[in-house]
Amino acid sequence: MPKGKYRVEIPLTRSTVSELSSLSSNLALGLDLEEMQRLQHYFKTMGREPTDIELQAMAQAWSEHCCYKSSKFYLKRYFSGLSRGNAILAMEDDAGVVEFDQDHAYVIKMESHNHPSAIEPYGGAATGVGGILRDILCMGAQPVALLDSIFLGETWKKHEQGALSQRFIFENIVGGIRDYGNRVGIPNVAGSVDFDSTFNRNPLVNAGCVGIVRKDSISRSRASNVGDVFVLCGGGTGRDGIHGVNFASENMKDSSSSNRGVVQLGNPIVKEPLIHAVLEANEAGLISGMKDLGGGGLSSSVGEMCLAGGVSAVIDLDRVILKEDGLEPWEIWVSESQERMLLAVNPSNLERISKIFSLWDVSYSIIGKIVEGKNLIIRYGGEVVLDLDLEFLTSGPVYCRNYTLPEKKSRDYVLPSEPDNILDLILSFLKSPYGCSREAILRQYDHTVRGSTIIRPISGKPNYETHSDAAVIRPVRSSMKGLALTSGSKFDMVAVDPVGGTYATMFEAFMNLLVTGARPDSVVDCLNFGNPQNPAIMGSFIQVASSISEFCSSFNLPVVAGNVSLYNETNGLNIKPTPTIMMVGIVEDISKAVTTDFKKPGNSIYILGTPDGNLGGSQLLKFQGIESHNLPWYDISELKSLSSRYLEAVSSGLIESAHDVSSGGLIQTLCEMGFGSLTGFDVDISQLGGFRTIAKLFSEGGCRMAIECSPDNEEKLAALFKDFPIFKIGMVTEGRVRIEDCGLEIINTEIMELRKPWDSGMELIY
Amino acid sequence: MEGTNNEFEAFNAFLESGCEPHYVHLNQLKRREVSLEDFSGLFLPGGFSAGDYIRAGAIFANRLRNSSFIDLVNFIDSGKPVIGVCNGFQILSEMGFLPGLDKKRAIALDHNDSNRYECRFTYIRRTSKSPVFRNNLKLNNPYVVPVAHAEGKIRFDAESTLEKLIDSGQVLFKYSTPDGLDGDYPWNPNGTTESISGLSNTEGNVIGLMPHPERLMDDNIRYSGNHGETTIGKAFFSDLKDYMSAF
Repeated sequence: MPKGKYRVEIPLTRSTVSELSSLSSNLALGLDLEEMQRLQHYFKTMGREPTDIELQAMAQAWSEHCCYKSSKFYLKRYFSGLSRGNAILAMEDDAGVVEFDQDHAYVIKMESHNHPSAIEPYGGAATGVGGILRDILCMGAQPVALLDSIFLGETWKKHEQGALSQRFIFENIVGGIRDYGNRVGIPNVAGSVDFDSTFNRNPLVNAGCVGIVRKDSISRSRASNVGDVFVLCGGGTGRDGIHGVNFASENMKDSSSSNRGVVQLGNPIVKEPLIHAVLEANEAGLISGMKDLGGGGLSSSVGEMCLAGGVSAVIDLDRVILKEDGLEPWEIWVSESQERMLLAVNPSNLERISKIFSLWDVSYSIIGKIVEGKNLIIRYGGEVVLDLDLEFLTSGPVYCRNYTLPEKKSRDYVLPSEPDNILDLILSFLKSPYGCSREAILRQYDHTVRGSTIIRPISGKPNYETHSDAAVIRPVRSSMKGLALTSGSKFDMVAVDPVGGTYATMFEAFMNLLVTGARPDSVVDCLNFGNPQNPAIMGSFIQVASSISEFCSSFNLPVVAGNVSLYNETNGLNIKPTPTIMMVGIVEDISKAVTTDFKKPGNSIYILGTPDGNLGGSQLLKFQGIESHNLPWYDISELKSLSSRYLEAVSSGLIESAHDVSSGGLIQTLCEMGFGSLTGFDVDISQLGGFRTIAKLFSEGGCRMAIECSPDNEEKLAALFKDFPIFKIGMVTEGRVRIEDCGLEIINTEIMELRKPWDSGMELIY
Repeated sequence: MEGTNNEFEAFNAFLESGCEPHYVHLNQLKRREVSLEDFSGLFLPGGFSAGDYIRAGAIFANRLRNSSFIDLVNFIDSGKPVIGVCNGFQILSEMGFLPGLDKKRAIALDHNDSNRYECRFTYIRRTSKSPVFRNNLKLNNPYVVPVAHAEGKIRFDAESTLEKLIDSGQVLFKYSTPDGLDGDYPWNPNGTTESISGLSNTEGNVIGLMPHPERLMDDNIRYSGNHGETTIGKAFFSDLKDYMSAF
C-alpha cells in the first residue's frame, strides 16, 4: 500500500520488546506484550508495517471486552451443551431470542456498564441503558421493559480522598438510568440495589432489557448478501467513547478526569425516534441484517457482521456523519458514540428506508458495501488505510488462565448474641441499607409507561406499596400471557463460596418468578469479576460458570445470552465475584398472577419448604459485621417438587399472596407482605425447626416462601402439598403484628411501627 | 415528535374503546401530508418532547404553533376535542389553549415539590361538569390513576386566574384520597395548588391533565384498594369516543 495523506504507518516489525510495550501504552492499545508480538509476527509475514488504524482496530477486536479472551473457553465449556428449551437463538447474536407464543418471540439481554459508571456515573449508567436497548432493537424487537441491578459502595461512610463520593456515584447512577429510560419511554420494572465496601471504587451497573418481536421479523446481527450496502444511522460520530473497550479491559487506577473521554455521551432524544424508524423499516422487510454500535464502535460491528455472514466489506470512512470536525480516520473507526445502528440494506430498498428516516428525522449515510473476499478494506480520502484479514482481525486470542479453587473450609460463623429485645434488632435492620425499602429509587423510574405493566416493581395499596418479587409485563395485547422478570445477585454468598453462592443466586431468581406464578423459561447471566490474572478470581469464575450451568441443566433452562465484565479492580482491591442473573418466566394467565401484599385479615399464613436456620451469608450477619464462612443448603429436588405443586395451586386460584424467603429472612418476608396493605400478622414459628429465634427469623437458606390462603381453600391446599414440608404458622390481622416462638411472645406491635423505619431507611443514605 | 413516548398506550386506549386511531408525526403536519380536518379528535400524548431540557413542552408547542396554529384554532372552534396528557398538557398550556382565557399563557407546570421525577398510583376525581364526560366518568368518584412526571405543579399567573377557573368550572380534575377528599403528598404527588390535576377551556373541549388514564385500560393491572366499577382509562376513553362520534 502506498503512503499517503491519511495513511500513517507505525513502525512495528523491527521494534524491540521494550518498544513494543511502550507502543501499546503510547497508543492506548491495552494489549500485552505477547499480543503485541503476535501482531509483529503477523505484519512481518505480510512484509509491511501496520497503519495506525489497523493497530487500533486490532486492539479493539482483541480487547477482553470484545473477544472475551479470558472467559471464552469456559463459557463454551459450561454453556454450549445446555438445553435450548424454547430458545430460537441462544448465545448466537447480540441478544437471546425465545419463543413467546405461536407468532411472537421475546428477546432478552443484560450487560454491564461498570467501568464507565465508575468514572462518570451519570453518563456511564445512562449509556448502559442506551446500549442494552440497541441490543434488543437490532434483533428487530420492540423493547417492552428495562431492568437494572446496581451494586454500590457504602454511601453512608466518610468520603475517601481522591475518589468520587459514594453519594455522588449513587445519585448519578440512579439519575443516569432514570433520565435515559424515562425519556426513551420504556418502563423500568425490576432489578436490585445492593451495597458493599468492595464496590466503593468499582460500582457495578448491570442493565437488562426485554423486547417482543413477531417471529417473521427477527433480524440477524449479520451481513450475508454480497451487493448490500452498509447504512449507518442515528447519532453522529464524535470523540466520545474512544478506547472505552480497552479501558474496560484493564484494572482501574485512581479515578481521574483524564479518563472521562472514554465514556460515551448518551442522547435518549435521538434514540427514541431511532427505535421507531428502525422497527418500521424492519417490519417492512427493508433490512437484511443489523447490529448496534457499542463497544469498539464501527470496528467491532462491521467486522463481526461480516465474519458472521461469511462476507467482507469496503468501507469509506469519509462518508460517516460526524458530530465534530477533525477526527482522525482511526478515531472514526473506533469511536463508541451512542445512538448509532449499522444496517445491511439491499440497494433497491434505500428509497423506502430514506422516506421512513426522513419522517422520524433520523440521519443516516451509506458508508460502504458488502463484497466477497477475506479482507476488510477501509478507505479514507480515496486512500486505503486498512486492509486486513477479517478472520485474524476479529477472532482474537483465547486464554486458559491459571486458576486455583478455594480450600474446603469447615469453619462456622460466630454466633450473634441473642438480643434482649428482638423488636429493636428488627427495627434497626429494616432501617439499614440491607433491609430498607427501595421505593425512593424505583419511583424515579417510569414503570407504567406503555400501559402494559401488570405487576409493578411495587405491589399493594396505592402509596403504601411493598416490594414485588418479579414484575409482570403483558407484551401482546391480544394474549393473556405475561412475561415475569427479575434480576439480582447474592454476591455476599458467592464471596463465601462461589458454588453455594451461585446456587443461592439462581434459587433467588427462580423463586422470584415462581411465587409470582410464572414458569421460569430462560436465563441471562452478567458475570462481574475482578482481575482474571489472579488465579483465585479465575477459579471463582470457573466455579460460578459451572454452577450456573449445573442449575440450568437440572431445570432444562437455556442460558440465552450473557456478558462478562472482568478487571473490576481498583488499586489492588477486587470486587466480590458478582454473577447477576436475569431470569424470565412465562405467566400463562396474567389474571392469575400472584402479588406479595396480604389481601385479607383472617386468611391463613403458611410456610412452604424445609425450615432453615443457617445464618451464613445472610444480610443479618453483614449488618452486624460478622464474617460468614459457610452457606445454607439449597436443595434442587425440593425446588422442583415445590415448583410443580405451587404452579398448580396458582392456576387453581388457591394463593391470595406469596413472597419468597430471601434477603432479610422470614421476618423481612412477613413484614413486606404486611406493608403492602397495612395489615399485620399473628404467627407462631415454633414448628419451623429447632433453631434459635433469630436464626428462624433471619436465615436466608432453602427454597421457602410464605403464602396467604383463604380458609375456604385450605383443604385443597393441604391435598396439593401432601408429602411436602408445609407449615401453617398463623393468620393475617387488621394491623397487629405478633410473633410467638416456643411459647414466648417475641414481638407485639403495629405494622405501621415496622413500616416507618423501612420507609425512611433509604433517605438516610441516598 | 422526538421524545414523545406515550403514544403506544394512547393508541391502544382509543383502539380498545372502539375508535380508529392514527399516529400523526409533527413532520407530517408541517409538510402538509396530513390534515387535521380529517380527524374527529386530537390527543397529545406524554413523554419528553425534545428531551424537556428546557421548559417541558416548550419546543413541541413552538413547532406545533409554527406548523398548524390556525388549523388547530379552527379544530377547537368546531368543538372537536383536544386532549393533552402530561407532556401534552404542558404543550397545550404553553400554547395558551389551556386554560384558554384570552388565548394567553396563564399557567405553567412547575417542578414537583419533591424536586424529583415520581412514578406512582394515586386517585383523581372529576370536579366539574363536562360536555365530554357525560356517562361513564362519574362526577366526584375517586379513580385510581397512574402519574409519572417531574414537572406537574400547576402555577397561575395571578390568583384571579385561579378564581376565574373555579367559577367557570374549568377545574376538571383534582387529585384525591381513596375517600374522594383533597389530600396532601403523596395523594397530591407534586404539591399543585388545591390538588388541581386537570383543566379544560371554557367550552370544555380542550382538556389537559397530568395523570395518565391511558395507562390504566387493562383490568389485570394490579393494585389493591378501591377498584370501583371500571378503570379510569375505560371510563375516560368510552366517554371521549361517544363525544367524538358527533364529529
